[in-house]
Amino acid sequence: MISAQQLLERIQKNVRVPWQSQRSDGFSDGVLAGSDDATVTGVVTSFAPTIAVLRRAVASGKNTVICREAPFYSRGERAPLFWRNGPAPSKEMLDNDPVCRAKQEFISQNNLVIIRLVDNWDARKSDGQLRGLARALGWEQFHIAPENGSPPYHPDNVYFSLPQTSLNSLAANTREKLKIRCPRVIGDPASGVQKVALTHGLLLVADAERILREPGVDVVIAGDAVEWEAAPYFQDLVAAKRAKGLLLIGQETSEEPGSGEMAEWLKSFIGEVPIEWIPAGEPFWRLS
Amino acid sequence: MEIELGGDSAMDRTRMSRRRFCQLAGSSLVFAPLLTRAQMPSTSGLTAREVVARIHKNVGVPWRTPTADEFKTGDPDAPITGITTTFMSTLDLLQRSVAAGNNFVITHEPTFWSAADVVSGLRDDPLYDYKLNFIEKNRIVIWRFHDHWHAHRPDGIFTGWNKTMGWEKYAVPAENPFSHEYVIPETSLEDLSRDMQTKLNLRSLRIVGDPKLRITRVGHAGHYIQQCMQVLPKVDALIVFECREWEGAEYVRDAIALGQKKALIQMPHEGGEEAGMDQCARWLRTFVTEVPIKFIPSGDPFWMPA
Repeated sequence: MISAQQLLERIQKNVRVPWQSQRSDGFSDGVLAGSDDATVTGVVTSFAPTIAVLRRAVASGKNTVICREAPFYSRGERAPLFWRNGPAPSKEMLDNDPVCRAKQEFISQNNLVIIRLVDNWDARKSDGQLRGLARALGWEQFHIAPENGSPPYHPDNVYFSLPQTSLNSLAANTREKLKIRCPRVIGDPASGVQKVALTHGLLLVADAERILREPGVDVVIAGDAVEWEAAPYFQDLVAAKRAKGLLLIGQETSEEPGSGEMAEWLKSFIGEVPIEWIPAGEPFWRLS
Repeated sequence: MEIELGGDSAMDRTRMSRRRFCQLAGSSLVFAPLLTRAQMPSTSGLTAREVVARIHKNVGVPWRTPTADEFKTGDPDAPITGITTTFMSTLDLLQRSVAAGNNFVITHEPTFWSAADVVSGLRDDPLYDYKLNFIEKNRIVIWRFHDHWHAHRPDGIFTGWNKTMGWEKYAVPAENPFSHEYVIPETSLEDLSRDMQTKLNLRSLRIVGDPKLRITRVGHAGHYIQQCMQVLPKVDALIVFECREWEGAEYVRDAIALGQKKALIQMPHEGGEEAGMDQCARWLRTFVTEVPIKFIPSGDPFWMPA
């Protein structure tokens, strides 16, 4: 028997970085919904606790979902503006919203526990999100080894040396490997690319500047970009012939394989209950 | 984009502008031997500052501060050659504006990749240098027209969007100026998306929901989850742009999973606002006649691989 609280303590012990419990930006890691005292019947990891993910968790007898996003579509009152997300809805708004109300009822009826694990997982010396994404792409052998002896998949070591290809082929290949429908690309499809920076989540201009200090980077891959910030920054880089392009694979797509990594990691120190990665899946489709 | 600007950002902008204005005022005294039309002022002597003064007078709302609607580059008191209106003053757009002979660019969105065009952090960025050099060499004056074009009644951006979509007749009168809802002839989600893709010239539409879903009520929900929550109960499909995936898309897919017959169409930002700058060109022509005025689309920045 293990409670949600005990599960969290076990995670805190194994994450091997000083636990940050009071991040100023948005939710802190911990229980977002459900009770600390609840007995954990099984653990699901996923990018987001969508209704579909929660149903599959319940169907497989698991009541605890560890994820990056929050159940009610907002990263909270304190989420920094640089994410360009909206203000958090008030409690009254959530209570009156039919989708939120039904989801809250589903969570309560099934005694679900939803745990956020982002900041501390990302603070580790080896970036589980990056490693998961690199493995999903089958790019492990292309990862450029760090010269300074830092561990593989250190958050600063995001560079991959691929066999020479075109931006179009890179985008099509990425789409196929990740089984997604809607990657979005900036740049000339025919331009030759070889050195790629692989990142996850929302790319900010400051991130792009830092990443591009490394010489010879042709393309940056990210989850998403603000369309008056990093997106036009790359349009301008391309027009100035300073980079070949930007490939946005989607927020969920870029972060989801990391949830798979997290499931494997959890299994290394939790033996009492089953652990399963259930991908939330890309939300979008496109016109053919 | 409806981000409010903070005081610090406004101060930053002012500092940038003064420094730039001094440099540019100096450089404009030196004429190159060969001039393109973009470098040759019209005989009218009309300046960017005079155009902006007319905009102040015609926009019909009190000018507010702080605002993003300010000069970003160039000498506002130099005679202009022609006016380009656009959604986003990307480098590519500026190159096309110069080729078209227009050295005054009125842009809805930023030039230097942040809401307030804060450049203090870009001093060491070679791309900033490159873009600024191009702007200075071609004596481009850039003025942003965002807050007050939205504040115009009706909102100039949505007037343009409705016109480009041919949806003026379908608009439902709304109490909230940021709410734009429509009752359209019944169609499917797929056909509606295709219609939007064609009319708005888009390449990167992303859609949530059953392609065959029947749709008659459609509403813009801006960028944020609160707007999505306010509008979704009233419509079959939400239209959003620049809405973070964990807000709009996750919300609507949960609504669908719970059995609601709903959909979301996520456009590129440009898809929601570029038509409004076409409208801006039409509007400007009613009170600026001395120089050519051209709407040049900056275009959907994205493509999707087959």
